[in-house]
Amino acid sequence: MPAVQETIDRVRKIDVDQYKYGFQTEIEMDKAPKGLSEDIIRFISAKKDEPDWMLEWRLGAYRRWLTLEEPTWARVHYPKIDFQDIYYYAAPKSTPGPKSLSEVDPELLKVYEKLGIPLKEQEILAGVQKPAVADEEAEIGDNVYKSGRVAVDAVFDSVSVVTTFKEELAKAGVIFCSISEAIREHPELVKKYLGSVVPTSDNFYATLNSAVFTDGSFVFVPKGVRCPMELSTYFRINEKNTGQFERTLIIAEEGAYVSYLEGCTAPQRDENQLHAAVVELIALDDAEIKYSTVQNWYPGDAEGKGGIYNFVTKRGDCRGDRSKISWTQVETGSAITWKYPSCILRGDDSSGEFYSIAVSNGYQQVDSGTKMIHLGKNTSSRIISKGIAAGFSQNTYRGQVSAHRKATNARNFTNCDSLLIGDQCGAHTVPYMEAKNATAKFEHEATTSKISEDQKFYVMQRGIPEEEAIALIVNGFVKDVIQQLPMEFAVEAQKLIGISLEGSVG
Amino acid sequence: MNMHAQPQRTLAETALIDAFGERLSLLPGDGAVMVKRDDAIEAIKHGLPTRRVESWHYTDLRRLLTSVPAFEVGAVVKALAPVLEGSAVLPVLNGVSQTKLPEVEGVTVQRLSEKLTDGSVAPGLDPYGDDDAIGALNTAFVADGYFVDIADGAELEKPVELQNLQAGGQSHVRLLARVGAGAKAIIVERQTGEGDETLVSSVSQLVVGDGAEVTWLIVQEQPDTATHLAQFKAHIGKDAKLTLFVMNAGGRLVRQEVVVRTTGEGADFKLRGINLLAGDTHTDTTMVLDHAVPHTTSTEVIRNVVTGKARGVFQGRINVHQYAQKTNAKMACNTLLLSDDGEFSTKPELEIFADDVVCGHGATVTEIDHNHLFYLMARGIDEKSARGLLVKAFVAEVIEELDDEALVEALEERLDGWFSTHG
Repeated sequence: MPAVQETIDRVRKIDVDQYKYGFQTEIEMDKAPKGLSEDIIRFISAKKDEPDWMLEWRLGAYRRWLTLEEPTWARVHYPKIDFQDIYYYAAPKSTPGPKSLSEVDPELLKVYEKLGIPLKEQEILAGVQKPAVADEEAEIGDNVYKSGRVAVDAVFDSVSVVTTFKEELAKAGVIFCSISEAIREHPELVKKYLGSVVPTSDNFYATLNSAVFTDGSFVFVPKGVRCPMELSTYFRINEKNTGQFERTLIIAEEGAYVSYLEGCTAPQRDENQLHAAVVELIALDDAEIKYSTVQNWYPGDAEGKGGIYNFVTKRGDCRGDRSKISWTQVETGSAITWKYPSCILRGDDSSGEFYSIAVSNGYQQVDSGTKMIHLGKNTSSRIISKGIAAGFSQNTYRGQVSAHRKATNARNFTNCDSLLIGDQCGAHTVPYMEAKNATAKFEHEATTSKISEDQKFYVMQRGIPEEEAIALIVNGFVKDVIQQLPMEFAVEAQKLIGISLEGSVG
Repeated sequence: MNMHAQPQRTLAETALIDAFGERLSLLPGDGAVMVKRDDAIEAIKHGLPTRRVESWHYTDLRRLLTSVPAFEVGAVVKALAPVLEGSAVLPVLNGVSQTKLPEVEGVTVQRLSEKLTDGSVAPGLDPYGDDDAIGALNTAFVADGYFVDIADGAELEKPVELQNLQAGGQSHVRLLARVGAGAKAIIVERQTGEGDETLVSSVSQLVVGDGAEVTWLIVQEQPDTATHLAQFKAHIGKDAKLTLFVMNAGGRLVRQEVVVRTTGEGADFKLRGINLLAGDTHTDTTMVLDHAVPHTTSTEVIRNVVTGKARGVFQGRINVHQYAQKTNAKMACNTLLLSDDGEFSTKPELEIFADDVVCGHGATVTEIDHNHLFYLMARGIDEKSARGLLVKAFVAEVIEELDDEALVEALEERLDGWFSTHG
C-alpha cells in the first residue's frame, strides 16, 4: 500500500497542533452587522435579490426558530452560543460576474491553490496543460485530483464565486449553480423542492438555517440524465466570527444519476465558529444520488481551544420507487460535530446507504450517525460506521433505523466499529432500532476495541516502526468506507486520517 | 426526575401524590427514612418521565400510566408452590412480609418493615439517578419486604424463593440480599398476582461478596391487568459471579430495570433474558451495566418474542469507566417479531472511556427464517406446529445455557405454560 508510506511521511512533517489549512486570507468583506433579527433577514434577502416568497419563507422560519430550544441530547459539551454575536452575512467584495478564471480575484485563487482546489483542471481537461501545473499539484499534495472530471462550485464564506463546467453541464441539461442563482433563475424548482425534505420547522439548527442561509449549491439532474461528471463544492469559512449557513438542494429526476463531493477546510481561529448547514437530496423513481463529504475544519488547538461547531442537518428523500441515496463521509475536523445524514426510504424498493469514518483527536467531540426511515415496501439500508477516538476526544455513533407499520420486507444491516487510541478518550455507540413490521429484518453489530497487540506485533515484527504500524492498521480498519469514496477523495481521506491521528500514538 | 416542567399533572401523578399524603402516617421509617421519602415524592411532583427523558425514550411513563389503583388492605392471597422444587419460600403477600418463615442454614432473614423502622436501610433508599422514577416511587411508598443475609462461605443446599404476590391494588416492596464472601446461592424472585388493576413497584438490591457465586432468577408472570415497575440493582465483588435470569411473561405495563456494577477485579456478570410478549401490552427491559474496575467481564443475551399488539423495548447500556482496562463485555438482543401489529425497539449502547477493552453488541429483529420453516414442513410438520417449535427453540436456547439441570427444567416448564396459553 504505497499510500500508507505517504501518510506516514506527511504525518512526520506536521506538528500536532499545526493545522495545515490554518492560513487566513485578507480579502475585503461585505457584511451585515452582528446579530439576528427580521431586519437582518430582510437584508440578506435583499442582498440576494430574492423574490418575496423567499423572504416570507425565511421570516416564517425565523419566527418558528424563536419558539425553539437548542437541543441538548447529543453527547457534546460546549459553552452556550450567543446567536446575537454572530455575523449572518458576509460576502467577498463582489467582482462583477467572472466569466473566466483570469477575472477572478487573484487573492481568492491563491486561497484555492492552498486548498488544492483544482480550478486549473478546467485547463487540463481543455488540453491547455501548462508545465507549471504539475509542480503546483505536487506541492498541493493533499487535494490532487489527477483523474476524473470534477466540476467545482467553490463557496468562499457565503457566496459562490466561481462555477466551472457550467456549459458542459448545461448541454446535458444539468443545472449546477449556487442556490441564490437558482432562486432567481429557477424559482419553480426551488419552490417545489426547497424544504420538502428538511422542513423549516425540522430542528433548531435547520430552522435557523432556513431563516438565514446565505448560499450553497443547487443541482438539478433532469429525467434520464446521468450527470457527465462528479460535482463538487468546497466550503470554506473565512471572515472572523462568520457563521456559515449553507443550503444545498440536489434533485435527481426519474432515472437520473449524480455524484456530489463536498470537501471542507477552514482557517485557524481562536474563536469558535458556528456552521449550521442544511442539505436536502431528492431522488425520484430509479434515480441515484451519491453524496460524499470530506470534512476537515479546524478542530481547535492542542488545548481544545477554538475550532468549528458543525451542526448540520443532512437528509435524503428516496421519494421515487427504486431510488437510491448513498452518503459517504470522512469526518476528521471540527471541534464539535453534530451530524446525522439520513435517508427517508419512501419509494418502494428504494435503498439508502451510509458509510462513515469519524476520526477525533485532541479535544474534539463527535456525535454523528444516521437515520434510516423505512416507509415503502421492500426497502433496504446499509450502515457502516468506523469511529476512531484518540487524545482526549469523545466519539459517539448515534443512529436510528425504523420500519414503519406498512414497510413490508424492510431490510437493514448496521455495522459500527470503534477504535480507541489512548486511555483518555471515549467511544460511544447509541443505536436505536424500531421495528413495527413483522417482515422487517434488522441486524446491528458494534464493537469497540483498541488495536490488538497481536496485530501490532505482527506488523512491527516485520521491521515497521510503531507509528507506521498503527497507521497501517487504522487504514485497514476504515477500508470498507474508503472504498466507497470516489477515487480522488479516497486518496485525500487516507491522508487526512493519518494527519488527524498524528501525535496520538506513543 | 424530569427536566421539563410539566404543564399539568396527570391523573396518575395526582393520585400518587394524594396517596402519599394519605399513607404517610402508616409508612414505617425513622427520621432518615422519612427524609428520603419526602425527597422521593418531591421528584414525583416534578412529573413522571416522558419520552424526552432519554432513559424513558420508549416507555413514556407519564402517558402510559393512565391510572393508579387505591391501596387494598383486605385482599387475600396465598403463597404459591415454588418454581424450583424444595425452595425455601419467603412470601410478601399484598405488600406484607410474613412472620412464619422456613429456616435455612446460613441464611438470616429479617422483615424489611423492621429495617425501615430502625433506619438501617436508609442509605440504600436513594434513587440512582435523576431519571430513576421507579426508585423514587418505591422509596416514597415502600412499606415492607425482606432482608436476606447469606453468611460468608455458606453454600445453600436449597434455593430461596422471594415471592411478591399481589391481588389488586397497590404495593411497593423491597427485597434486599447480601451474599457473603465465598458463599453460593440460588435466589428466585417471583413477581405475580391476580385480580383487578394492580400497581406494583419492586426494588431488589443485591450485594455479591468477594468470590461468591449467585444465580438470581426473576420470574415475572403478572396478570394482564398489572402495572409492574421493577428494579434489580447489584454490586459484584472481587472474583464474584452473578448470573441474572429475567423472564417477563405477563403484565400490562412492565418495566424491569437492571442496574449492575462490578466493584471488584475479576467480577463476572451474566444476564440472560426472555421476554414473551402478547396481547396489548408494553414491556420494557432496561439495563445499565457499569464496569467500574479493571479486569471484569460480562455477557448479556436477550431473546424476545412479540405477538399480538405487544410493544417491546430493550435498552442496554454498558459503561466502561476510564480505569476499567481489560474489560470484556458482550451483549446481544435478538427479537422475533411475529405480528404486524406488534413492535419492538432496541437501543443497545456502549459508553467506553478505557482503551484496552473488548466490547461489542449485536441486535437483530426479524421474523421466523423461512428456510427453517420449510425444513420442518418438508418433514410433514404442519405450519403452526413448525412455527411453535422454532419460536420455542429460539428462546429455549437461552435457558439451556444455564448449567443447572433443575433450573433448566423449571424454566422450560414456565415456557411451556406460556406457549400453551399464547401459542
